[in-house]
Order: sequence, then structure tokens, then C-alpha cells
Amino acid sequence: MSAPAFLLAAVPLFPLSLALCCLSNWFRARALALLVLAPLPALAAAILVPKGGFAIFPPPFRLTLVLDEPGAILLAGAALLWSAAGAYAASLMARDPGRQRFTVWWFLTLTGSLGLFVVGDVVNFYLLFTLASLAAYGLIIHEQSPPAHRAGVIYVALALAAEALLLIALVMLAAGHPDANPLIRSVVMDLAASPMRDGIVVLFILGFALKMGLVPLHVWLPLAHPAAPTPASAVLSGVVVKAGVIGLIRFLPFEAGAPFWGSVLIGVGVITAYYGVLVGVTQKRAKTILAYSTVSQMGLLAVLLGVGLANADPEAAHLAAYYAVHHTLVKGALFLGVGILAVTGGRRFRLVFLLMGVLALSLGGMPLTSGALAKLATKPLLGYGWLAGAMTLAGAGSTLLMLHLLLILRHYAAEDAATSPLLGQFMPWLVVTAASLVIPWSLYPAVAGEPAASLVTPDALWKVGWPLLLGAGAMLLVQRWPGRLGMIPEGDIVVLAQTGQPLMRSLSNRIGEIDVHLRRWPAAGLGLIALAILLGGALMLRA
Amino acid sequence: MTAALHATTPGGFLLVLAVILPVCAVLAILACGPRSAARIAMATLAAGLAVAVAITVELVWSGAALTYVVGAWRPPLGIALRADGLSGAMLVMTALVVVAVGLFARVQYGLREGGGSERERTTFWQMLLALWSALNIVFVGEDLFNLYVALELLTFAAVPLVCLDGRAETANAALRYLLFALIGSLLYLLGVGLIYGQYGTLDLLALARLSRPDPALSVALALMIVGLLAKAALFPLHLWLPPAHAGAPAQASAVLSALVIKAPIFLILRLVLDVAPGQVAFLAGQLLAVLGAASILFCSVMALRQARLKLMIAYSTVAQIGYLFIVFPLAAGGAGTSPWETIAWTGGALQLISHALAKSAMFLAAGIVIKVYGHDRIADLGGFGRALPISATAFGLAGLSLMGVPPSGGFVAKCLLLTAAVIEGYPWLAVTILLGGLLAGGYVFRIIDKALAVSASPLPSRAGVPRRLELTALALAIAAVLLGFVPLRPFGFLQIGRSGLAMAGL
Repeated sequence: MSAPAFLLAAVPLFPLSLALCCLSNWFRARALALLVLAPLPALAAAILVPKGGFAIFPPPFRLTLVLDEPGAILLAGAALLWSAAGAYAASLMARDPGRQRFTVWWFLTLTGSLGLFVVGDVVNFYLLFTLASLAAYGLIIHEQSPPAHRAGVIYVALALAAEALLLIALVMLAAGHPDANPLIRSVVMDLAASPMRDGIVVLFILGFALKMGLVPLHVWLPLAHPAAPTPASAVLSGVVVKAGVIGLIRFLPFEAGAPFWGSVLIGVGVITAYYGVLVGVTQKRAKTILAYSTVSQMGLLAVLLGVGLANADPEAAHLAAYYAVHHTLVKGALFLGVGILAVTGGRRFRLVFLLMGVLALSLGGMPLTSGALAKLATKPLLGYGWLAGAMTLAGAGSTLLMLHLLLILRHYAAEDAATSPLLGQFMPWLVVTAASLVIPWSLYPAVAGEPAASLVTPDALWKVGWPLLLGAGAMLLVQRWPGRLGMIPEGDIVVLAQTGQPLMRSLSNRIGEIDVHLRRWPAAGLGLIALAILLGGALMLRA
Repeated sequence: MTAALHATTPGGFLLVLAVILPVCAVLAILACGPRSAARIAMATLAAGLAVAVAITVELVWSGAALTYVVGAWRPPLGIALRADGLSGAMLVMTALVVVAVGLFARVQYGLREGGGSERERTTFWQMLLALWSALNIVFVGEDLFNLYVALELLTFAAVPLVCLDGRAETANAALRYLLFALIGSLLYLLGVGLIYGQYGTLDLLALARLSRPDPALSVALALMIVGLLAKAALFPLHLWLPPAHAGAPAQASAVLSALVIKAPIFLILRLVLDVAPGQVAFLAGQLLAVLGAASILFCSVMALRQARLKLMIAYSTVAQIGYLFIVFPLAAGGAGTSPWETIAWTGGALQLISHALAKSAMFLAAGIVIKVYGHDRIADLGGFGRALPISATAFGLAGLSLMGVPPSGGFVAKCLLLTAAVIEGYPWLAVTILLGGLLAGGYVFRIIDKALAVSASPLPSRAGVPRRLELTALALAIAAVLLGFVPLRPFGFLQIGRSGLAMAGL
């Protein structure tokens, strides 16, 4: 096996083997320190493996790994955040009684989440997707509080629904293919000609929208992400939601295009982008605000992919990946930063707060930050119509939401001015923050096709600057309305679903009654006779 | 004309061994007394497993079915034993489950406390072996009356297993089971009589060749299939299963749920796909699929509603066998393809095998939980994953297979069935499979959630539960997961010996 193939194989297999090693008690007791190492092969693969590199494992594994441009961009950001969050977790959870369990769930989620970016065949995509989805449950419920459990239950219910949607979509996609486990690329090429094309695309959009948290399938996200311990929140909100993004990138027919479904995706994305902001500004907890911001940002990503789908423009996948990596790093740094702020006092608080301010406004598109880069890079894709305007406005909305976050975070300072975060937590946060500021700059020329110097022209600065001012103005208005805080419960419309509970319960009770009745002798006897007659009739009818 | 159908093949004596060995062991236990029961049983388990493996090896090596004509009396006068690929797979699956359950019981009965009375132990070993012999006859039998005898033997061996502990509650459940199974046998026997009257032979291979669409055959098949459905406890004939399977001791439940109900299903499969002429089977297959789908949905909801762990697993069994009935329309095959070349056939067979492995693992794990906690109320099992990590893992892995989550045998089975449903154009079956998976996710997850939760009360002591006990459950669960590595296509092994049948059918 060649070196690139070996590196690619290590992306999912290294963390997986660490998870398997956790079967040994001795290893498990020490595994927490390895969290930081587990994603490093992925980071190396993203940087060193040439684009188009692949690895194929013969049956019975039937695993194919490929690295392409969007995959590599996403993989690099994801691996970096996983590694830093792992270091943070190792420091934070060193005395946690449940740390061994946490470690195992971490390795498993990591395997699925990073593997998704490089997997090239249908069956293993589904396998890794499932692994990432279900193992994340262990991270969400780690703190074992009643809200965490509720979040976990809702999360799993919707994750299983997403699995079911994707399974049928994948089966429909691969049904006509001669190979039982075809490559994703080859089946998606056949998709345009498939008679079930529309059905398949709808199922994919639904399934991956559930994972990304697009409205109205977002209800689990603002419950689940804040419930987890801080480093887990960071990776869930930063990386694991990108499973939906990479899914859309991989399975939607960008080459052939699908104008109608593209516009559906755009519509849903725009609604989600605004919805996340509107509900977000009513929230009181910093982590929940960040989760709603993730919802909003996933909406923007959906718009990008929708435009690509509508215009049959495969380039959109690169831009979406670029936007996604910006979100991965910034959101990860923000979540970790919330944890840092809570244990920082005095003068250091102000310094950390300042950096948090830069990170937060980067999401809104502050000039010279990754957010501005991401927005400028995607501008040409969106054109100059209403959509570009709507997206700019959404950027202003993000600024508003982030200012709201900063106002809430002001009160997070530790009581004691002398407290300072442990180095083991502070350094990972600093690394992610720095990466979020640097990496998008280095990728910009390749993705946008113009030199980074063009970003510092006054024109470009103004282009991203004015939505920021608009958002700040909106904040001034919103602030006059303190009654909004806590007005909408976390998870918003999940409350509506709960009104359906009595109905479900009565339905289930009804089934219970029927069962009691069916299991009485007379009913069973009658059933036996009826079945015999029916079957006899069925057999005769053709005879 | 039947002379050409059956001729003893070189490895044919292995089939006789598979049937006779457990019977000999039962007799030996009777002769030697209860003291040596466990030892004799263990020796037989090892020998039986070896025979099953040898049959499989022989099948793969020769690539054709094994046949043994008993006493050299050819059918229709004598009876024949025949093992094709599917039978071979069933034999090995049965041997694996029986051996694992036997090891579990050996450890369990060897414990100082909770080892059960001597009468209970001896009865268990004898019934386990008798049941194994009956199952093997069902899988290799070719003669409808011979199969009837096997079914009776199976019922009479399974009923005492239900009421091993002799409590009034389980005796009641056992009686219920016995009565309903007897009604089923009666209907089956009636059908056999009709067929003999019409065709003058009871040999399945000969019938496959002779059968033509006529009313007598239709009535006979309907009676036989309904009788078998009663024994298989498909919805809505499942009245006896939940109390019987939930009330029995874990090692008995495991065998009952994993193996005993598979025997009638195996026969239905043979009747519908081999004996019934293709045209006749179409509507009946649809009807069976409707029943299967109803079983999946209805009993999965019932499983979700259960407050007790073993009842939940029992209802899940009724739900899971529903998948085996939706195979009929999917495997009907088009012009030019026979049922066993379809992916639905492979999917059905895999579902049968993976369910057997996963369900027995689940019941054994549940048995360990009950042993430690003293009850199986799901609400009060908080944190059992910490008290019994291996059992909880076994339960979780088995659960993944039931849910159809990759990589597991259940996933491959459901994926194949789903593909077949899409290709053959049965959207309602595809939706049923997906909903069934979701509901299974619900009831499995309820337990996993409890296993991971932090319990308010202190964890019970796990003293008295050796790790070996837990490992048998884990081994079965891992076997169910490993099944997921078979290729996603019609599986060659399951087709061995079937083409001979096609020729006979021409």
C-alpha cells in the first residue's frame, strides 16, 4: 500500500483502533490523553495526500477512500478542531468520574465524523454516518442531567429518522447498479437518468437537512449541542453537523443540476438562516445562542449548495466547503471560549473577551476575518439578485446574534479576579482561534481564484463592512426589548411536537387494547379460521 | 420416476448423525441418570456442532445437496433426508445457538446458588437435546409426515422448557402454548392427508414436480400453512408467545425465540416456494406479506409499550419474524429467475439467521440482568450497563442487529429486503421495513438509555455472575454483527442444491 493510501486508511482506522483498544481496562484508564492524537492522521492526510488520492480495501471490507478538494478542506478543519477539543477535554475531564465512557464515545464519534469526509463507497458512507450519529448520543447525555437526557432522546429519535430516510435513498440510488456496493461518484452520475430521481433527491435533502438542522428539522440541535460538555459541544456544533453538508455535497447531482430542488434548498436555507437568528436573540444561555447560530449558518450553507444545484455548478461544493471550514473553526473556538471565559477573572477576562469578540463578529463577516473571506468568496456564486441581498441581510442578522452573545457573555466572568484557565484548556482554544484567523487566508487564493491582496481594498472592506454596521444598529433596537429573553423555549417548535404526545399515547394504548383482545382464545380461534379461509381463497383464486 | 430424485450421496450419513446424535444423548441421560446429564450433553453439543460443520464443508466442497435415503427404501415408500444450502445454513445456525446456550446453562447450573433443582437441570438438558434433534429433522426432512412428527417432537420438547421452574404462571403459559400448537399440528396433519389423497406421495421434491393448480392442493396448503403460522406465532396468532417466551428461564427463552419458531417458518418457506405452483403462490404470498407487515408494525409498538424486559424481547420476536413473511412477494422472482436467485431470498435467510443469533444473545443478557437485579422491570434497571458492562454490550450489539444498523447481519438482511422492495416495486413493504427499523430503534434504545443512565439506587452486587456467563451472550451478539460482512448480493451458498429442485420442477 502506498503512503498516501496508508494515510487515508488511518483517517478512520486510527481512531477506530483506539476505540477498540479501550476494551482493555489498562488502556481505557489512560486513553483520555490520546484524544488529542486521534485526529492527527486525518490532519496529515488532508495536507499531505494529493487530491484524488485513494485507497481500496478488498472484500470483505469493501471500503473505498478518496480525497477530493472539498473533502480535504473540510477534513483539515475538522481534524484540527477535533484535536484541539480533544486536548481541551483531556484537561477538563481529567477528574470526571465518567471520563472513560466519554473517551470511548469520543473516539467512535470521531471515527465516523472524520471518515465521512474521505469515504468513497455507498455502504461505508452509511456506516460511518450512522456511527457518527449514534455515538454522539453518548457525548450529549454525558452529564446525565434531566435536560441532557431529554435532549439525548429527541436527538436519537430524529437521528434514527434521518438514518431511515438516507437508507431508503441510498437503496433507491444503488438499486439499479450492478455492483452491490458502488462508488458514490458513479451512482450519482447515474442519478440524473434514474426514474426515481426526484424521490431520491427529496429523501437525501430531508435526511441530510435533519443532520444539518435546517428548519423545521432543527429542533434537536439547540437542545443537544448545549447539553454536552464544552469540548463535545464544540465538535458537535463545529464538525458533526457537517456530516449533513458533506452528504449533500456527495450525493446531490451538481453536475447535472436540479433547478427545482435547488430552489427548494435555497428557500429552506434562507428561512433557516433568519429563523436561527430570530429565535437565537431570545435565548439566555451562551451555548444555546451558539447552537442557534449554527442553525442559522447551516441555512447559509444550504443556500450555497442550493444555488450550485440549481445552476448545475459543481464549483459550489468547493465554496460550501470553504464556508464550512470557516464555520467549523470559528464555532469550535467560540464554544471552547465560553468554557474559558467561565473560569477567567480580572484583566485576563478582558483579553479573552476581546478575542471572543473578534471570533463572534467573524461569523457576522467582520472585515479581515475568516467570515469576511468566506462571504467574499461566495459572493460571485450568489450573483447580484435578491438572493445576494437576502444573504447580506442574513450576515447582518448573524452580527446581531453575535452581539447578543457578547452581551450575555459579559456576565460570564469568574467571581475571583485571580482565577485563570488551565493551560491545557487555554492553549487548545488559542490554537483554534489562531487557525480560524489564518487558515481561511491561506486557502482563499485557491478557492476564490483571486489573490488575497484583493481583500484589503476599500471596496472589499465596505462590501462586508456595512452589514456589520446594520447588525449593530439592529442590536441597539433589539436591546430596548429585554422582555424577549426567555420568551421562546430552547428547541422552540419541539414544544409543538409535545402537544401531539397525548394523541400518540392514546394511539399506543389503543394498540395495547387490541392486543389484549387478540390474545384471547375466541379471537385467536376466529383468526385461525379466518386466515385458513383467506389463504385457501387466495390459493384457489389463481388455481 | 422418483427414483432419480433421491439417491444417497457420499456424505449423506452425516444427516443421519445430525438427527440421531441428540436422541442417543437423551436416551443416555435416561440410562445414566441425572448426575452425568451435563457431561453427556456437553459431549453431544461438541459432536453435533462438528457434524453441522462437516455437513456445511461437504456442501461447499461438493457444491450439491446431500441426500440420505433411509434404509435404502426410496420414496414414496421410504423417506429421504436432504440438505441443501439453506438447510446447511440452518443446521449450523442451530448448532451455534444450541452450543452457546448449552455453555451458558452449564455455567449457570454450575453456580452454587440459583442453580435450580436437579429435576429442572436434567429436564433442561434432555429437552434441549430432543429439541435439537427435532429441529435438525425439520431442516433436512423431505417427507411431509416425517416433518409432522418432527414438529410434534419439537412442540413436546419446547413446552416443558417453558415451565421449567414449575410456577403456576409459567405452567399456564406452557399449557396455552401446547394447546395452540396442537391445533396447529392438527391443521397441518389435515393438509398432509389431503395431499396424500391427491398425489399419493408426501415427498417434497416429488411434490414440487407433481403439484398442479387444483382445489385439493390449495385447501391442503392453506391448512398446512395456517397450522404452521399458529406454531410460528405470527400476528394475529401470537397469543401464546409473549407469556411463554417471557416466562421461561433465560436459557430456554433463548432457544425458543431463536430456533423453535423458525422451524415452522422454514417449512412455510418450503411449502410456498417449492410445492405451490408459481402462479398459485402469488396471491398467497401477498397475503402472507400483509400479515408479516402487520406483525412488524403492531408488535414493534407492543414491544415499545412493555414495562418488562423479557416481554419486550418476546414481542420483538413476533415483530422480527414478520420480516421473514414479507420475503414471499419479493422473492417471487420474475420470468427466468427462481426465488433462490433473488436478493430477497438471501435477505430473508440472513434475517432468519441474524435474528436467531441476536435474539438468543438478548435473552441470555436479559437472564443475567434478572439474575443480578432480581427483576426485569425496565424502569428500575437504571445503570445496569455499569453493573454488567459485558451483558449490556451484548444487548446493545444484538440490538443494533435487530434495528438494522451497520455493520450487522440485520443491516445486510434489511438492506437486501429493502433493495428487493424497491426493485420489485413494493413501496408499502419498503416503508414497513423502514418503520419497523425505527420502532426497533425505539425499543432497543429504551434499554440502552437505561444501561447508560446513572441509577438513583446503589448498583446491585454482581457476585455470583461469572464473566464466562456474560461472554456466551457476547459471543452470540458478535456473531450476529459479523454476519454483516457477507456480501450484499445473492449468496452462493444458499443456492446449493436448489437448482436440482428447479430441474425437478420442470
